[in-house]
Amino acid sequence: MNKFQFYFAAAIAFCATSIQAETVTVITPYLAQPGTQMYVEGFEKEAKAKGWDVNVVDTAGDVAAAISRIEDATTQKVDAIVINVDPAQVAAGLQTAHDANIPVVGMDAGSDPLLAANVTSNGYAMAAETAVYVANRIEGKGKVVMFVFDAFPPVQVRGVIADAVFGNFPDIEVLDRITPDVSDGGIADSRAKMEAILAANPEPGSIAAVWAAWDQPALGALQAIEDAGRGGEGIVIVGMDANPQARAAIASGGNFEASMAQDFQAIGSTTADVVGRLIAGKKIRAKVIYVPTKLITSANATE
Amino acid sequence: MIEKLRHSGTLLGFAAIIIFFALRLPDTFLTARNLINISQQLSMLTVVAATMTIVMVMNDFDLSVGSMASLAGIVAAVLFSMGYPVWVGILAALAVGLLGGFFNGFLVSVVGILPFVATLGTLTIFSGMAFLASGGKTIYGRDIPAGFSGFARAGIPLDSIGFSGLKLPYLSITAICVVALVWFVLEHTTFGRRLYAIGGNMEAAHLAGIRVKKLRLLAFGLTGIGAAAAGLMYASRVASANPTQGSGLMLDAIAAVFLGMTMSQQGEPRVLFTLIGVLMLGVLDNGLTQIKVDSYVREILVGVIVILAVAIATISKRKS
Repeated sequence: MNKFQFYFAAAIAFCATSIQAETVTVITPYLAQPGTQMYVEGFEKEAKAKGWDVNVVDTAGDVAAAISRIEDATTQKVDAIVINVDPAQVAAGLQTAHDANIPVVGMDAGSDPLLAANVTSNGYAMAAETAVYVANRIEGKGKVVMFVFDAFPPVQVRGVIADAVFGNFPDIEVLDRITPDVSDGGIADSRAKMEAILAANPEPGSIAAVWAAWDQPALGALQAIEDAGRGGEGIVIVGMDANPQARAAIASGGNFEASMAQDFQAIGSTTADVVGRLIAGKKIRAKVIYVPTKLITSANATE
Repeated sequence: MIEKLRHSGTLLGFAAIIIFFALRLPDTFLTARNLINISQQLSMLTVVAATMTIVMVMNDFDLSVGSMASLAGIVAAVLFSMGYPVWVGILAALAVGLLGGFFNGFLVSVVGILPFVATLGTLTIFSGMAFLASGGKTIYGRDIPAGFSGFARAGIPLDSIGFSGLKLPYLSITAICVVALVWFVLEHTTFGRRLYAIGGNMEAAHLAGIRVKKLRLLAFGLTGIGAAAAGLMYASRVASANPTQGSGLMLDAIAAVFLGMTMSQQGEPRVLFTLIGVLMLGVLDNGLTQIKVDSYVREILVGVIVILAVAIATISKRKS
């Protein structure tokens, strides 16, 4: 067999490889985010145990490309598609998959009639827990700085609940409701915003707490408070998601006191379970499936 | 022979890519549905790349097209959210594109700043304006009228010509129309020929009586309006507008024009070759996704192919 024939035979063999296992495509523009990586890891682990063939596609922030990749996966006739992107923005792709009877499951994606199910954490419950933690810690009185992000629906609901909790305490005043610029990751701009607030409120004790809808602004606020030499005023900071940097800050016993841990791995593995049930032809009744969360304080931050 | 290879090398490469995917994905790649999908997926890039060709014909650049696309989407969406009808939003966005393009043209041709620097500056300006107008938020949901987002999901049914259940998407049709228009303007009008003359030798063109400043200004205006149109198409496709969503278009558009330039006689940009460049990028994306190549490997491969095509063309040009 000469070289050409060898390559030709190899190419034919390559082309003829048929795929027996169930194929699932995971599509997200946000794989660079630590949370998303953990969902995907959890999903892949469970999928491997089920013997599936998983293809993870990262469109690096490009939402239109996510639609394109959903269409490609539909053309490819995969058994199921998993998305981690706002379903309203990729509705054009979801419709294509729906028309081809390919189930699409959201992995912390938001609810949509075109999704068979969405697996997520209960953002309402999480926000209530950290907001109540703050209210109790400052004994129901004082000025609170909020960091919110209403443009992203899962984070927006957290802000709504915290507003309600703080609104229910007559002596708690929300000093400012800040939406940081997240293009640099969220820490740097939150820090700058917090520095400005500290400068505007120089009296010790004038700020009782910082409630952040996710960890990055809480970390930014912590840096600002410590660098301003106001770490000793007892300003209570809470975040959400309990990322490793936040856990380290909480464990050190400083102003950053609490965060909520979403079980990202469990969101991934539960998504795989839901996909498995759909592939097996079972019907999913509850379209939103919540995975339990946990309050992280210095007592359990290193666990 | 080398001369021929230089012109057809990229085309042969494109054919090889198609044959590879056709063999590897016999059931799904060369199907009408997939090809229509590709045409729709590429429609926005096609519009940006085609109109980018207009300024690149004069050896100019426009780095601001991506942020102009984002800004146009935001302008339309903000107007929709204020209750203005769809046509007002679209016209305003296109007007912003035209004005932004003229501003680029003014900086480049009247003030005399290098296009790279001028449009790098306006890239930041347009991006900042998009953030300012939107408050940094994604505008979506009820703020985007169904008539606007529905455009990207609709098309002309193809049942009558034997493709039951398929439709030729309006986005693809829009892209084809823009390419046809740019092709006509560049190849069949005095305006187009003058742009090529400017690209060949600006000084000589000026001495020959061509009003270089005015033409460059106009050309940048057209590129701006193209970027705005692509931004509207993008916003319609994702049924939302985000201040950064068009930013990926710029580099791909320039890459497509460069790929196209490897196929032309003198290495000058031609819009139909730009279209082949766009198709190459899109086919690679679609095919590599289908054969489940890691998305990061895909990015590397696309870059390598662009460099390879341009390198082969450059080397063979030197030899010939």
